[in-house]
Amino acid sequence: MRFGRSGTIRRGRLAPAAGVALLSYCLLTMTAWGQEGQLELAVKATYLVKFAAFVEWPASAFESASGPLNLCIVGAPLAGVADQVAAGQTVGQHPLAVRHIAAATHGLGCHIIFTAGAPQQSVEAAIDAVRGEPVLTVTDLPQTAPRRGIINFVLQSNHVRFDIDDREATRDGLRISSQLLALAVNVSPR
Amino acid sequence: MAGRASFGKLWRAAPLIAGATAVLLLITGVLVVYSGEASYRREKIEEVDAQARILASTVVAALTFDDRNAAEIYVGALDVNPEIEAAAIYDGNGQPFAIYRRAPTLSVPAPAPELGPSHADDRLSVTTAVMQGPTPLGRVYVRAVLEPLRSRYERYAVIGLLVVMAALVTAVLGVTQSALSLSYRELEQANAELKAQIAEREKVEEALRQAQKMEAIGQLTGGVAHDFNNILQVVLGNLGNVERQLQRGGLTDSGLLERGIKAAIRASERAAVLTGQLLAFSRRQPLAPKPVDVNRLIGGMSDLLHRTLGERVEVETILGARLWQTLADANQLESALLNLAVNARDAMPSGGKLTIETANAYLDEAYAAIEEDMRAGQFVVVAVSDTGTGMSPEVIRKAFDPFFTTKDIGQGTGLGLSQVYGFIKQSGGHAKIYSELGEGTTIKLYLPRLLTAGAVDDPPVVRSALRGGAEIILVVEDEADVRGFVVDMLRELGYEVIEAADGPAALSVLEARPDIKLLFTDVGLPGSFNGRQLADEASRRRPDLKILYTTGYARNAIVHQGRLDPGVELINKPFTYMALAARIRAVLDGTPSG
Repeated sequence: MRFGRSGTIRRGRLAPAAGVALLSYCLLTMTAWGQEGQLELAVKATYLVKFAAFVEWPASAFESASGPLNLCIVGAPLAGVADQVAAGQTVGQHPLAVRHIAAATHGLGCHIIFTAGAPQQSVEAAIDAVRGEPVLTVTDLPQTAPRRGIINFVLQSNHVRFDIDDREATRDGLRISSQLLALAVNVSPR
Repeated sequence: MAGRASFGKLWRAAPLIAGATAVLLLITGVLVVYSGEASYRREKIEEVDAQARILASTVVAALTFDDRNAAEIYVGALDVNPEIEAAAIYDGNGQPFAIYRRAPTLSVPAPAPELGPSHADDRLSVTTAVMQGPTPLGRVYVRAVLEPLRSRYERYAVIGLLVVMAALVTAVLGVTQSALSLSYRELEQANAELKAQIAEREKVEEALRQAQKMEAIGQLTGGVAHDFNNILQVVLGNLGNVERQLQRGGLTDSGLLERGIKAAIRASERAAVLTGQLLAFSRRQPLAPKPVDVNRLIGGMSDLLHRTLGERVEVETILGARLWQTLADANQLESALLNLAVNARDAMPSGGKLTIETANAYLDEAYAAIEEDMRAGQFVVVAVSDTGTGMSPEVIRKAFDPFFTTKDIGQGTGLGLSQVYGFIKQSGGHAKIYSELGEGTTIKLYLPRLLTAGAVDDPPVVRSALRGGAEIILVVEDEADVRGFVVDMLRELGYEVIEAADGPAALSVLEARPDIKLLFTDVGLPGSFNGRQLADEASRRRPDLKILYTTGYARNAIVHQGRLDPGVELINKPFTYMALAARIRAVLDGTPSG
């Protein structure tokens, strides 16, 4: 049972509910933010954490077999939500660690970088900074933006979805699960 | 036999075995169906479980990222499997997340059912967990339609039918076998009964034969006793008269003496004929068969026949041309023909005609086969016919039996035809009676053809001249009276006689007297030497010694296959003074007569 790349998959129905963990978390955060936009942020933060399980890094990307998987957030766009979601999570043998950085730089040891643009570094600059490194770059740019991360959040029918640039991922030495690729709205194939 | 017994046991146990086999077949059939059903369910569970697991592993991302559309596509893909009628993906709370239904009327359980397989009617459902690593994300539920119970049972019914048929066949075989076994036992029983009946019949037949034998022996001994008593009456009576006459003082009536003695002699001669006939009937008489021209023999009997038959019986002889020779004892053949003539005469009390006819005859196998005790071949036939009273079939059947007679007491001995029959049989031929009451009788004698024609002897010439001699004769005889009589007669004839009672004594006499010219010995002697052995030993020592045997009845020593051994000279007891004188002289002179 295979699906074609998600660019061809038709979407559009509204989801009446979300996953249990996500939902409960969202309810908590909604009380904190009390706004629709903040719910979207929470979902994105949760997705950011969950992407790790569907991506394979080269072994050299880790300090050791049980070295931490670093989720680096440039600036503070998710306002600490990601920290709460990632707390105590592991991906395989690797404990998930959230690091807030001012700017992405080469050899920083990040496995996932989320950038929404920061005062010190633009999204494009951040992407360029880790180009060629096995780093999953995640952005939240409009689909028209010329330079986006390997995964870019999109909003579709009021649902948080994403595009995947599998070509870039492959170039950087990452392998993205076909299941994840199947969920992507658009995929740039290898 | 042991193998047969065990086979029989197996044979009898076969119906039981067949029954057991049939039951076993049925049990096996049920087990096969049961295990088939179980393994079908097991396979289906595995199949559905595999589907559920595949689905569970593919929907991880969709559940993780709350992508209901993707999940529905995944679950909807089960549509390609026609056995699956419904499936569902449940989220972490157990609420349906994505649902597939083959028909809108179908439903899926909510909330998520327990993990594992479950059955309901013809439905099989499996619920399995969706895991991301150790973390459960939700559940997957897949429900498949099993092959309808009815169609499954129809499939099993085919097997069942086969099994039942096999069992039925086995049972039928068993029943058939049982019936066979029963009839086999009945057959065995019938066979045993039949055997018992046969044995019983054999016993009865044996008893009958024994009774018939005893009857025959009784008839024979009775007849012999009757005739001998009559003869002895005459002998004793007349000799008694003679003795009394002599005691009374001399020859008062020489005529009376002579009559008495002659009567005794005649009676004794009749006794000799009687014993001769007995021996002939028993086929134990020593025959001296020689080539015989039957026509010539009958021609020579002409006078005798006319004398015997008297004037009221006409005799006609029709002698066949170019008649073959036969090998027979001429004297016995004459006796036989004479016996037949006498019988014919007695059958024609008021006169008639006797015809003696000779011819060559060939009896083929077919004829020999239908006639009792006959063999095929070439024969010289002598047919003696009369125009007398004839015989009934019953009389014909008994005519050859010894002492069977239709004549009045004192008229016949009942041994005439017995002699004929015995002699003919002993000569390798046949005798056959053709007769009907009032139509006369024909008796045919078949004598085997002599293929190598030989010189026919002249009829024996009766030597009238009584000659004695002076040679020394050794007489060996264990019976003292007989020995005394012989010695007296020989001395009367002028011979010098030495006597001995047995073989060893005779041999020592022979040693002592080399001038003995002739050994006259009885064949039957007591002790280790019989007459033949004595003669052989004597001949070995004295090759020139002449030998003459005498015997009342010689079975093996000098007679073989009913014939005298070649070169053997024999005078049968009882013999007369004249006969003895002639034979002694003939042997001494080297001119033996038949």
